[in-house]
Amino acid sequence: MDLLQQNVNLWGDDIPWLAGLREKGRLAFQKTGWPTAKTESWKYSFFKQSELEDFVIRTEPCHNECHGECSCHLSHNLPFEVIEIPFCGGQPDTDHVGLPEGLTVKPLVEAVYDKEAQKYLNKSYDAENFPFAALNTAYLEQGLFIIVERNTRVTKPLLLSYHTHNAQNNWMNIHNIIVLESGAQLTLLEDFQGKDCHYFNNIVNEIFIGGSARLNHYKRVAEAQTAFHIALNSVIVRQKGCYNAFCAQSECRLARNESLILLQQEEASANLNGAYRLYKDGHSDITANIRHLAEKTLSDQFVKGVLDGRSKGVFQGQIHIAPQAQKTEGYQLHRALLLSDDAEVDCKPELEIFADDVKCSHGAASGDLDKEQLFYMQTRGISRDDAKQILIEAYLNESLITVCDEQIRQWLAQVL
Amino acid sequence: MSDKPEITDSSGNNYKYGFVTQIEADTAPKGLNEDIIRFISAKKGEPDWLLDWRLKAYRHWLTMSEPHWAKLVYDAIDYQNLSYYAAPVQKAKPKSLDEVDKTLLDTYNRLGIPLKEQEVLSGVAVDAVFDSVSVATTYRAKLAEKGVIFCSISEAVKQHPALVRKYLGSVVPYTDNFFACLNSAVFTDGSFVFIPKGVTCPMELSTYFRINAKNTGQFERTLIIAEDDSYVSYLEGCTAPQRDEYQLHAAIVEIVVLNRAEVKYSTVQNWYPGDKDGRGGVYNFVTKRAACRGCNAKISWTQVETGSAVTWKYPSCILEGDNSCGEFYSVAITNNRQQADTGTKMIHLGKNTTSKIISKGISAGHSNQTYRGLVKVASQADNARNYSQCDSLLIGSTCGSHTVPYIENRNKSATLEHEATTSKISEEQLFYCLQRGISEEEAIGLIVNGFCKDVMQHLPMEFAIEAAKLINISLEGGVG
Repeated sequence: MDLLQQNVNLWGDDIPWLAGLREKGRLAFQKTGWPTAKTESWKYSFFKQSELEDFVIRTEPCHNECHGECSCHLSHNLPFEVIEIPFCGGQPDTDHVGLPEGLTVKPLVEAVYDKEAQKYLNKSYDAENFPFAALNTAYLEQGLFIIVERNTRVTKPLLLSYHTHNAQNNWMNIHNIIVLESGAQLTLLEDFQGKDCHYFNNIVNEIFIGGSARLNHYKRVAEAQTAFHIALNSVIVRQKGCYNAFCAQSECRLARNESLILLQQEEASANLNGAYRLYKDGHSDITANIRHLAEKTLSDQFVKGVLDGRSKGVFQGQIHIAPQAQKTEGYQLHRALLLSDDAEVDCKPELEIFADDVKCSHGAASGDLDKEQLFYMQTRGISRDDAKQILIEAYLNESLITVCDEQIRQWLAQVL
Repeated sequence: MSDKPEITDSSGNNYKYGFVTQIEADTAPKGLNEDIIRFISAKKGEPDWLLDWRLKAYRHWLTMSEPHWAKLVYDAIDYQNLSYYAAPVQKAKPKSLDEVDKTLLDTYNRLGIPLKEQEVLSGVAVDAVFDSVSVATTYRAKLAEKGVIFCSISEAVKQHPALVRKYLGSVVPYTDNFFACLNSAVFTDGSFVFIPKGVTCPMELSTYFRINAKNTGQFERTLIIAEDDSYVSYLEGCTAPQRDEYQLHAAIVEIVVLNRAEVKYSTVQNWYPGDKDGRGGVYNFVTKRAACRGCNAKISWTQVETGSAVTWKYPSCILEGDNSCGEFYSVAITNNRQQADTGTKMIHLGKNTTSKIISKGISAGHSNQTYRGLVKVASQADNARNYSQCDSLLIGSTCGSHTVPYIENRNKSATLEHEATTSKISEEQLFYCLQRGISEEEAIGLIVNGFCKDVMQHLPMEFAIEAAKLINISLEGGVG
């Protein structure tokens, strides 16, 4: 059944501004339609519309009374302490967590009724440029509203675990709002896992980073083989604020991590790094659009990928420098390793520059493993397969090393 | 036509090719329809197959819409308000240069291509295209000795129909894109080059294009065929008079390179760029493509783009033959309100194919420039190798410079590298020059010429000198 023809019961019809937003989302989607090979930002990651026919938008919240004991909770196995919010079947469970002072985490529904969310919801991007984000708003279901108060440093990482099991043809729209007031610091971990089921995760994170605040956003994606994962991270960074992200992606039908970063005030900075490793026929897409809108802003991107089987890797990075953003620096680098003749990598690093006093560069490279390195290791008695494995690990490590915390680095590496 | 032909110099500024030649022209009525195409075809005495081909292209064109994906903003083009054929009136086809209209020859002398003189001194064979018609081809006898055919394409249609029929549209089919399709329907003239097996063309071949008549579009079509083991170096230059209206130029260049042959194609494009407020100028929508059909074939594109109000141009290489090689060297300079969206496509299909892209972009004034390139490696193209380098220089804070590379790799043994940088002129370098008594404008000229050196050294000598001067002229007024 066509997704858009489905009769969906939505909450919040009694709130006019929310109903208005939903309508705006619907209109925006009507305008853009499903992305095709001719949609510039989707030209390497389009899919057949027929693939989406089975999905059903799920609206009833899943009252999963697991009391922190079901398998949604991952923190039991982690070697470091975290504050964990599990999304049991798509519904965040905030009731069973102890939060430190200065950190507020509540379901988005509550924040909408408390009128806190109005200021932030759909404020960081234009839905007409993001068809899936437009759908996300139109069918907004759940998510979290997270605020870190001024000058609060949250020491333990906040882990959002999205664990999908038993879901059949579920289409989930999750929308999180993350606000860091000035001087605040937070490490946010997102963990997507799924097994043996077919679903579509449509995620939007709207992130607002205040003056001199810093968000470390680490995300790992290990969805089920046939699942879709489409995420938009829309980030606004204010003066001297810093957004520091890493995304590790592994095999699934399509995993797309898209970032829209607005460096709105002086000396704001963003680091967007990532790595992906595909073995069979997965499709991984890392897309970033960094907009330098003020002086002395800085951005850096470093993404590495390893592709085997019939997989496809995509990197699209755009650095836009506005006329007023003088003395800006923007760097971008993507490297991919092709291990099979059927794998494919497509890359589009893009610079759009309207200011003259800037330093910008981008680079892209792809190729096979270095035969000399392989040979060298074999001469030292390491088997060819082991040598290959070591070289691949070392290859991905080059980007992983940008994550300072060693334990988190290992946590990310687990999916690669 | 006035009794006394004269050349009017209307150029008030530094575009030295901005004059208009008052010469009687045989022009088709404005507008585009099947009758106009029949008119053009009849004027040129073409065979039926060519007319059919044109009509097919025209009918296909009607189903297409103008592409707008490039970073270009321009007024809509009214295709019905253009004349698709303008030819200087001549009594009969000239047999030698002495019979060519004197006014025309004067025009070319002003452009710096004294055909007569060149025939004697420089040994560069020139085919000059005035508006839509090829006026004269020099040095024909000497080329014929070697078996090289260098003539206008309309002449080639009559004298070498088999060759033209075999290759016309084989690299750029009429269905290729909107502007190529339009060109296929209405192309009026252009150059035809055929280098037979084993022949190294004894001199550089050169074409000069000029749009003169008002409200005409120029649609020339160049076809170059290099048979096995041959070599040719081909130069192309373009100018147009200064006018307030826009002039449309939609050309096609098709090159076929067979086994072990090499073609070097150099362009200095200096169409009228419009005035400093962006009035007038040439809309330049060009499809250039070379197919390396044989093994070890080589094609090298070198371009210096300083003119045109709007440039839309992506000289491409299709590397079909094993071990074939494609090169693209480009300098593009935009000033005032000029816009250029240019780059290349390297399609690797054969094994061990290599390609190299060196692109240097300089933007000044309020101009905008985009490098747009595609490197594609097909799954069968083992050991393909590409290196791309795109550097941009920004002069002043009101211009824009953009880089949009597309890199698609489907073969694990392929090695692709892409690098791009954008920066402004180094203050240290500028200071160094100023300190030594060199004026700011001169210093920028020096630095820019140094920046472009990697590309300029690939131009043939006569062109390199002209191009270096052109770069300095283009940047005048763009500094500060």
